[in-house]
Amino acid sequence: MATGASAPAAVPRRRRRRGTARVNLGLLSVPMLWLVLFFLIPVILVAAYSVGLLTLISYDKYLSLQLWRDFLHSSTYLGGPLGHGLFWKSMKVSLGVSITCVILAYPVAYMLALVAGRRKYTLLLVIITPFLTSYLLRVLAWRVLLNPQGVIQEVLRGMGVIGSDSTVHWMYNSIFAVYLVLAYAWVPFVALPIFVSLESLDLQMLEASSDLGASRWTTFRRVTLPMSMPGVIAAFVFVFIPTIGEYVTPQIVGGKSGYLFGNVIQSSFASSFDWQLGSAMSMFLLITVAILLAIFGRYLNVRTVAE
Amino acid sequence: MNPAISNGGRRSLWVLFWLLVVFLYAPIVILIVFSFNDSEIVSFPWLGFTTRWYHEFIAEPTILSALWTSVKVASMTALVATALAIPASIALVRRRFFGKGLVSGLLLAPLVIPLVVLGISLLILFNFVGVPLSPYTAAIGHVVIAMPFAILTMVPRLERIPAALEEASRDLGASSMTTFRLITFPLLVPALISAFLISFTISFDELVIASFVAGKQATFPVYLYSQLRLPERLPLVIAVAVVVLVISVIVVVISEVGRFLSERRLEAQTGVAAEEFGSMRTGKG
Repeated sequence: MATGASAPAAVPRRRRRRGTARVNLGLLSVPMLWLVLFFLIPVILVAAYSVGLLTLISYDKYLSLQLWRDFLHSSTYLGGPLGHGLFWKSMKVSLGVSITCVILAYPVAYMLALVAGRRKYTLLLVIITPFLTSYLLRVLAWRVLLNPQGVIQEVLRGMGVIGSDSTVHWMYNSIFAVYLVLAYAWVPFVALPIFVSLESLDLQMLEASSDLGASRWTTFRRVTLPMSMPGVIAAFVFVFIPTIGEYVTPQIVGGKSGYLFGNVIQSSFASSFDWQLGSAMSMFLLITVAILLAIFGRYLNVRTVAE
Repeated sequence: MNPAISNGGRRSLWVLFWLLVVFLYAPIVILIVFSFNDSEIVSFPWLGFTTRWYHEFIAEPTILSALWTSVKVASMTALVATALAIPASIALVRRRFFGKGLVSGLLLAPLVIPLVVLGISLLILFNFVGVPLSPYTAAIGHVVIAMPFAILTMVPRLERIPAALEEASRDLGASSMTTFRLITFPLLVPALISAFLISFTISFDELVIASFVAGKQATFPVYLYSQLRLPERLPLVIAVAVVVLVISVIVVVISEVGRFLSERRLEAQTGVAAEEFGSMRTGKG
């Protein structure tokens, strides 16, 4: 860089190539260092901590797999019959939420990408904007809507749909509320990758399909849908993975029956001192995520998320 | 015949679209309306219009200090995340190197990590090293999750800046640094602003990491969350929430519109527009 003023044409080709490696290193070193220091190393520390390779607080066990055993065998968290336990409950909720989001977002993304014409970007922005505003506040809005004294139940009472003293119990502090609010929170984000994959579709393929005698439905089923699958899968994974560890929405609108795996992890740090157990559980969560990424990772590239 | 949609289908898709818009915005609108209700309960019955919750929140020092903490954390986050995303995006778009897939995987991995795991990991790191928790430690964590978004904002822009411009600059004798300063950077500015604003909003809204590593000085979302245990505070909390929400919507819309406009200008300048035009024409037919 010091020789920047001199003409580069004078620099022999070999030295320029060695310079290339140095440029790459220079460009990547600080961002990568940041992620290694504050992302990779912390995760490794949690793994080490969960088996007692290091200890932090007085309750900690030194070099012990007992917490992993406790966790893997406990019927509240994971063990017991398959499908019981909070981990599986979280998986089910995430799965349900991701599928709901994809079903809600697909027709709208289709409309924006292939039907809406020139206004499509403006309308896409209308859909996405809520996602870019505060998550907490949007969840809070649903608490205001759903709670027994809330807007929806008061309206239902006013219209005589429910008695003036009765409440709709499944609406608030319930697993339904968790599904509803999570789907609400993630729908805008799902629309984006589906829109991108549909937009990059070559419309001449659809014309070719219809020229060859396919109905619109057949064209959709045989051409459009398969070609938009990468976007659908990316959208699905991008909702499924972050929501497995979700604890904020369950705490605000879920009550006891909405309690999820993320809540156990959070409370093992925030309200009790089961740090090592919490670490084991978050490691388990991370391993789950890694497996899911290994399966679906090839659909997640910069192309499908970048606008 | 339009192979994508029939006329009836077009109508029902529009209906679906507007239904989704109502679903997305109605809760927010209702929250705003009831923040002006003169009642301790944020719901019906409507007891009259008031701005007293807004007055009370302006007079509340804890809220203001939480907001200020968040502004500081978000500014630091946005600054660092944007600064780190510039070289990372350039490397991803312009350079070829060994292990590129792995590198881009690591750079984007924070997008799909459950935040609770990252929060715990950072808590354990700072405990282990003996760094006291503070707004700075929260900002450190926020940079990790904001950087991928900053990179994703810059990559498409960089891809649209023709590499030929940079090559021409180097052929004319400019060093890489000079080329960056005079060619790449000025063309990248709109994306930098978007990346900054996106990182800022991500950090400003972030609750999970902040609640693990912000320490005693609560950020705004952490404060808000702690207040939810006290029902009598709800109207006040919602008034603040509305103010923050409205400001963040304005910021987001301005930054997105600005990015869109600058994108179009870049296309016009560099002549990639032809390709877009072609796809638009077929889109109409």
